[in-house]
Amino acid sequence: MTDPIIRTHNLCKSFGPVSVLKNISLDIQPGEVLGILGENGAGKSTLLKLISGVYTPTSGTIEIQGEAFKQLDPILSRHKGIAMIPQEFNLVPTLKVYENVFLGQERRRRGLLDKATMRAETARVLKSLKVTLNPDATISELSVAEKQMVEVARVLVNDARVVILDEPTTVLTDREVTVLFDVVRAMQARGVAVLFISHKLKEVKNLCQRLLILRDGEQVDLCDVADVNEDDMARKMVGRELSQTFPEKQDHPTSVALELKNLNIPGLVRDVSLKLHHGQVLGLSGLVGSGRTEIAEALMGLRRHTKEKLVINGKEPVIRSPSDAHAAGLAYLSEDRQGKGLVMNFSLTENITLLSLRKYTAGLISRSRERRQAREFQSKLAIKAASLETPVGLLSGGNQQKVYLAKLLDIDPDILILDEPTRGIDVNTKREIYYLIRGLAEQGKAVIVISSELEEIIGLCDPVLVVREGRIAAQLTGDQINEEDIMLYAAGARETAAGTTEQQGITP
Amino acid sequence: MLYAGYNNKTEGIIIMRLKRLIKGALLVGALVLAPFAASQADYRIGVSVPAADHGWTAGLLWWAQKAADDLAKKYPDTEFFVVAANSGTKQVADVEDLMVKQIDALVILPHNPATLQQVISEAYDSGIYTVVVDRELETPAQNVFIAGDNAGMGREAARFMAEKMDGSGNVIVIEGMPIPINAQRVNAFNEVMAKHPDIKILDSQPSDWSPQKALRVMENLLRKHRDVDAVWAGDDDVLKAVMQAIEEAGRDDIKLVVGGGGSKDVIGMIKDEHEVVQATVTYPPSMVASAIALANTGVRGENLGDMYHHVPARIVLDAELITEENAENYYVEDAAY
Amino acid sequence: MNQARLAGARLSDRLRSSGLDFSILAPLIALVVLLVISSLASEYFLDLRNLTNIARQVSYTGIIAIGVTFVIIAAGIDLSVGSMVALVGVVLVYIINQFADPVQGVIIGLAMAVLSGALFGLVNGALVTWGRITPFIATLATMSIYRSLALYFSDAGEMVSTNSLFPEIGGGYLLGLPIPVWTFLIIAVLAHILLAHTAFGRHLCAVGSNAQVARYSGIRVQRIILTTFVIAGACVGISSIMLASRLNSISPSDAGVFYELDAIAAVVIGGTALSGGRGSIWGTVLGALILGVINNMLNMLGVSPYLQGLVKGGVILVAVLMQYKQSR
Repeated sequence: MTDPIIRTHNLCKSFGPVSVLKNISLDIQPGEVLGILGENGAGKSTLLKLISGVYTPTSGTIEIQGEAFKQLDPILSRHKGIAMIPQEFNLVPTLKVYENVFLGQERRRRGLLDKATMRAETARVLKSLKVTLNPDATISELSVAEKQMVEVARVLVNDARVVILDEPTTVLTDREVTVLFDVVRAMQARGVAVLFISHKLKEVKNLCQRLLILRDGEQVDLCDVADVNEDDMARKMVGRELSQTFPEKQDHPTSVALELKNLNIPGLVRDVSLKLHHGQVLGLSGLVGSGRTEIAEALMGLRRHTKEKLVINGKEPVIRSPSDAHAAGLAYLSEDRQGKGLVMNFSLTENITLLSLRKYTAGLISRSRERRQAREFQSKLAIKAASLETPVGLLSGGNQQKVYLAKLLDIDPDILILDEPTRGIDVNTKREIYYLIRGLAEQGKAVIVISSELEEIIGLCDPVLVVREGRIAAQLTGDQINEEDIMLYAAGARETAAGTTEQQGITP
Repeated sequence: MLYAGYNNKTEGIIIMRLKRLIKGALLVGALVLAPFAASQADYRIGVSVPAADHGWTAGLLWWAQKAADDLAKKYPDTEFFVVAANSGTKQVADVEDLMVKQIDALVILPHNPATLQQVISEAYDSGIYTVVVDRELETPAQNVFIAGDNAGMGREAARFMAEKMDGSGNVIVIEGMPIPINAQRVNAFNEVMAKHPDIKILDSQPSDWSPQKALRVMENLLRKHRDVDAVWAGDDDVLKAVMQAIEEAGRDDIKLVVGGGGSKDVIGMIKDEHEVVQATVTYPPSMVASAIALANTGVRGENLGDMYHHVPARIVLDAELITEENAENYYVEDAAY
Repeated sequence: MNQARLAGARLSDRLRSSGLDFSILAPLIALVVLLVISSLASEYFLDLRNLTNIARQVSYTGIIAIGVTFVIIAAGIDLSVGSMVALVGVVLVYIINQFADPVQGVIIGLAMAVLSGALFGLVNGALVTWGRITPFIATLATMSIYRSLALYFSDAGEMVSTNSLFPEIGGGYLLGLPIPVWTFLIIAVLAHILLAHTAFGRHLCAVGSNAQVARYSGIRVQRIILTTFVIAGACVGISSIMLASRLNSISPSDAGVFYELDAIAAVVIGGTALSGGRGSIWGTVLGALILGVINNMLNMLGVSPYLQGLVKGGVILVAVLMQYKQSR
């Protein structure tokens, strides 16, 4: 073993009387990928903020390349080669790739910008990461994954020795994740140490050499990945034996809840047909951008579209807006919880009753009835919040998601369309949400789950529709629902299957 | 972090800040308080004028302050309050505030008479000795009205111009703001000109007495009319803007420009035998100073000077024509207008 | 930190549930402080006449500020309200003078004033929603258009009402309070109920906070935005009635000048953020009162009228800085 780049010794952090991180002692070697695991609130972010100098330790030391620090600040930390790639990217959308890579540290020659050098260096770094990306492309034209690569390139031209990746894969599809992992390995080959934070145990297992597991601010384990399996990891994170993550699939499909024929959205979706039964959890799988979300939005009246037929519970409703859709018994959980789902400065109560406000209104809103209903949801879904009046912006992602679900459930929808229902949520809450979804199906509701996580699709759904480039590439049921088959259809490696689309034929 | 506002610390900060604010404000309060606590005058005279938005109103405010200072020295039992308002509605509030200060006399140059009518009537009806300056109310509600001769201003200017032009030629008129006194001036001007069939008024446009606007209006008019002999600018500040437009356009067809008001600068130009600017007509902003003096006499129930009567109900100041022959007499070195 | 935050949240919950929003606490304290200072500084300040004067002077911009509060909560802005005061006033005086019977004239005139205000507001709203012009630009344009129309219709002259009953509205008293003040208070109560206790108010806050979320929640975003402009316009109509009847006339070049800025200032001082999403009517009422007291105090103390803008600007800055610190 060589000398570590970073070594922490009994690092502690508390806010007032609340201790959030206790006695963390670890070392990070050059060229290694260290995974950091823990539930939401376990102290992962705090640890990262201590290392990147945002917070000052209450006690303990951080050693960077042999130099001990009692406290750091962000600029010093950056200067010492520690770089963090945040979940929300800090890129200027109107500037080009190379301009963003060198933003704030532009190369100059005789006072003017040396664009040629900056372009060349950007190209060189991107190439060393084995990424094909034009340095002159504008950021706003890039995909999320490509933006992430720009962020990586940015820290590398800065000669970062330690790169912190904070849940980098939540916004990526499986294929993009593969690319990111290659990039991480390329960084590793350059001798860069990577701190990798993720909820996804499988990714951690695949990518990391060592693991730091945190629980309630304490260091539970620091071990080689080879020594533990996923079950061990989960157990150590949660501190107890996890019962099965996914509930039994007990499909008892009854009557048809929704039948859609030949949905078209110009340029995005072509001839999509599907049939959904009560008591079913139908999965919509596919790569990001394949048109899954657009199908949902068209059903909700949020997108212009044409269709041959839409039957919901035997009726053919006209849906031009979400309120029409709600009236027809549909409810949609957007993948963008903060941007489209919840009003962040509204309280729990106000969010939960936003769709169903009419129920509580007789001229004036009855606050007490609203609160009673919200309290019921809070206990039913185990939502953790200081009070019902707390703005949801203060809640953790998992609790926000529960509030969002409560908001949909309060109109008692017949059909739920859940788009990435567990994005950015810790393992434990994920499990609770899976059980909730299954419970809804058992109550006789019809559910569509859209997800980029294959595990989720496989564990939860039957049947599964694979969407590729705006079309249904396959409909899979029972044993057909496995990782390999889904990926093959999603990526276009296999063309047809016993899917329903082929039987529809082309309508005149 | 976004909603960290709901925490104790910020509350503490806000309260601390408020404390600091109170402390500072109390200090300011104490400072301004001192001179007011002692004031127990026999007579209180309130003066309300429009804010100084052009040269003439600036002169007005200057004269109002000057008269208030001069008279306060001479009459220690009298207190003067001078307030200026940038709009008619603000002036209404000003008068309301003055009435709360229990003034005995009110001197007011109404921003726009109809807007102020109601509140001036209230003051007058409540027994306040009221002097209205310059702009007449539709329903009289005053003890004294003092003004310049608006019609005379237009008439004198027109007579002089017609004479200089030998009764023929093209004229541009730059008017003031669309309020009654402007109409009185322009109508009188047009009446005189109507007697000279060969004099043609090419255009007559408002400048709102703003030099900035006058410059723009004049630039446009000069492009529109290629043959102009004379310009009547109803105000001396506007005249300067008109001259600038003419000079910049390099127009030598214009032989005569006549102003109005009698500002120091324009009188100076006439005195120095300016080629084009040959006359202006007085409309003195010092009328407000005289009005304050009238109020000071009237509120005591005294006679004016050696007169055998109280202050007359209407006083109209003469509109005097200033040309190079008499300009010397009107030139006051330290005047503000 | 977490515990402190929880305690803070709990405190603000208690305030909220007791009907006293934390956000209006600051302007309330500021107003009380101003009142204390003013009464110490000027012997005339606590004079009943002076207090009713302030209340009446405040009511014109205050009523408009209440309307503008709705627009601002929806993350919009309305710059045209000042010009609209003049235009509605011209329409109002013109209509009133058409009737020989004073009662008939007043009733029809007032109704038409409110309606025309709402109509001009509808024009603003239509430009913003159907025209997809940002509120700042749309109302900047109508600000110019409305003022110009007012000048044109009145031939730039002041219009005086000949109706004997009309001045009684703005100049009259009821139980010792001027009628405009009553109107202001009643509108404030109604607006508060509309904002805090109806589905419209809740939807409005959602739209202002995040229009996308509102759309996904089945709220008719455009209709809400349109309605806020209509409310603002109707409030302008009422304010214009109060102002024109108080003066028994309307001056198209002078009426309502800078009212838009006073209204926005009152809203901001009252704790409603210009970014929208949340706001309080009582905050706006307090903001308008603060501005009125400042004006009056400076007048009473004989501070140069040219410095009054400085003080007003300073108060706005302090208010916004406090909000900024609060929201960080």
